Amino acid sequence: MKIRTEEFNTIAKKEITNAYARAFLGLLPPIIAMRRVQVMGSFPDPDGAMALSRAIRGESVARLPDLLEAFEQNATQNGAKVLWARDAKEAKDIILSLIQERQATFVTKGKSMVTEEIGLNEALAQAQIKPIETDLGEFIAQQLNRPPFHIVGPAINVPVEEIRDLFLNQGIMKEDTTDPVQLGYAARLFLRDKFHHIKVGLTGVNMAVAETGTIINVENEGNIRFNKSSPQTQISIMTPEKVVPTMEDAMHLARLLCRSCTGQKISAYVTMDTGPKKADEIDGPEELFIVIVDNGRSKIYEDPQTREVLRCIRCGACLNTCPVYTKIGGYPYGWAYSGPMGQILNPLLLGLARTQDLYRACSLCGTCKTICPAGIDHPALFLYYRALDVKGDEKFRGMKRPWQERMMFYLWSRAVASKNLWQLSLKLGRRLMKRKAMNGWLSDGGKLLPGWFKERDFPTISDQTFREKWQALKGGTYGRP
Amino acid sequence: MDAREEILGRLRRVPAPTLEPRPQLPPLPELALSREALLERLMDELTKLEAVPHRVASMGEAKEKLGEILTGEGITKVIISTDEVVSAFDLIAWGKERGISVYLPSHFPDREAFKRAVFEEVEAGITGADFAVAESGTLGIIHDRHQPRLISLAPLVHIALLPTSRVVPVYESAISAVFKRGKEIPSQFTFITGPSMTADIKATPFKGMHGPRRLYVIIYDAQEGEK
Repeated sequence: MKIRTEEFNTIAKKEITNAYARAFLGLLPPIIAMRRVQVMGSFPDPDGAMALSRAIRGESVARLPDLLEAFEQNATQNGAKVLWARDAKEAKDIILSLIQERQATFVTKGKSMVTEEIGLNEALAQAQIKPIETDLGEFIAQQLNRPPFHIVGPAINVPVEEIRDLFLNQGIMKEDTTDPVQLGYAARLFLRDKFHHIKVGLTGVNMAVAETGTIINVENEGNIRFNKSSPQTQISIMTPEKVVPTMEDAMHLARLLCRSCTGQKISAYVTMDTGPKKADEIDGPEELFIVIVDNGRSKIYEDPQTREVLRCIRCGACLNTCPVYTKIGGYPYGWAYSGPMGQILNPLLLGLARTQDLYRACSLCGTCKTICPAGIDHPALFLYYRALDVKGDEKFRGMKRPWQERMMFYLWSRAVASKNLWQLSLKLGRRLMKRKAMNGWLSDGGKLLPGWFKERDFPTISDQTFREKWQALKGGTYGRP
Repeated sequence: MDAREEILGRLRRVPAPTLEPRPQLPPLPELALSREALLERLMDELTKLEAVPHRVASMGEAKEKLGEILTGEGITKVIISTDEVVSAFDLIAWGKERGISVYLPSHFPDREAFKRAVFEEVEAGITGADFAVAESGTLGIIHDRHQPRLISLAPLVHIALLPTSRVVPVYESAISAVFKRGKEIPSQFTFITGPSMTADIKATPFKGMHGPRRLYVIIYDAQEGEK
């Protein structure tokens, strides 16, 4: 997938006029939100339930290295093989050689955001191994070669006519139909044959339990279950922060994950794998590989502020509630992660310079923070990123602003801190502005404030400020005792 | 330095923050329900999920119900798990009487032959359930040699047999039994909540995306000596 985070504005402008997508965005998020509120009501204390899931994620992040080691030890003890990768390239090399050693010509995949992040599908295709996405939405998005529109419904915005044409062209279906159910069943049959004959199944991981070495997947379709039941080899890919302390914690998180994600109490399938199949079992993987991909997480972890990002459980609740996402959909974010979740994650993974608009396309309304079951303060992070970017932070590759702008803000900060300097600069500024203004309004900031004047003008300083008027009055009628 | 050391090393470089105490929650309401109320709740939740629960009084009636379901579905070929719930029914003999071909996992020499049967031949999978969680109408299934994973997944219809004694209030009740310290943990433990589903095209929900399209649960009282 081509990373297009730099094109946020261009794509957003196009998408905002996409009536079909807008209709979905206007309808679906409120329905999910309503369902969410309804199922949250099954807790005797819904706020308390949110507080607990936030505490669990907070603790998981705080104890990350210890929990990871415990997870590795327990998973290994139960027969899984845990492999570590520093970055995307290492992860792809590991996964690729595992598949090649087993002479698989195709692999089926359960939806996994981290594999999109590291560009696994492209690497597999290059090595002549066909990656087949098996989540229905992801299956469609993959063939259309588009980024996910929504983390939960990656192709929910694609018109049925387009899906029909795609399925007919690809030979997935023979009958001409635009019925969503029939289209779904056509994909089912096509993928069923793949599930039957796979050698290697790939999955992501929703939670990795330190206490037992168990990996947990949460899904509705059953495609992940097939990936973990049919093939001889299972490769599950995760980032370090997927780890949680105990099975009990995992159960509470699963409740919150499903409620926040789709408004379900629990998804159709929650599978908990502890090691590969036992010798006497007829199905399930003979070997289970768990690949832990860092890809920038340990760097994010070093800074106590950015570390908060690692709490995210990818439920997608912040997308459905975001006033920006619900107008433009997932494409403008230009990568695997969209909405507020993507706005906090992409800049750290890709650098602040090439994600400029992501942490600025936000009114700081804070609805994402309110709904987040993991306890992330998105707006605070956006402000932090903006500050890092302006300062030209090296670690996260901030861009820095032009020297004229920095100089102006330096002078500004000095001027507003001193009464005399402020009075003086008003007098100077008044004269300067008058020269540039039209009908009492300034509408161009030159190099000092690029962009600021794009959507607004600035009134010139009046001939007499309030203070000056007051001074004059004091000397006049009203000032007399 | 290898990747593991490097990643863990970097994670350890920062001092861990002190943990805040976790909030105390009131217990989930299901924990206070009587067995009868739990069963009612289970039936309700299953119905909401568009699964089909049947409550019957005995194993004999459960067998009758099973026959009715198969007849209704027009099914003549099934595969069954051999866990203790299903074994107690002696479905092989029962199938012979009724003209239903009943396969066991042990009928197949290897994974490939077994897969061919579950993917291509049988029309339904019949399994026991180790737990049923009233909280959300969820079946808990421990996978082992008697309970292969694909039986409850690959066929279009899944029929689960559930003794009333196996109903529990919340997930934790099942989890604490399965992941008990010092006990061998199963290679896979699965929660099944309703039939497989999706809404990925045009947000139109439908059942049976990859897994079973229909899920029947026969809930019965096991008599003295029965499981």
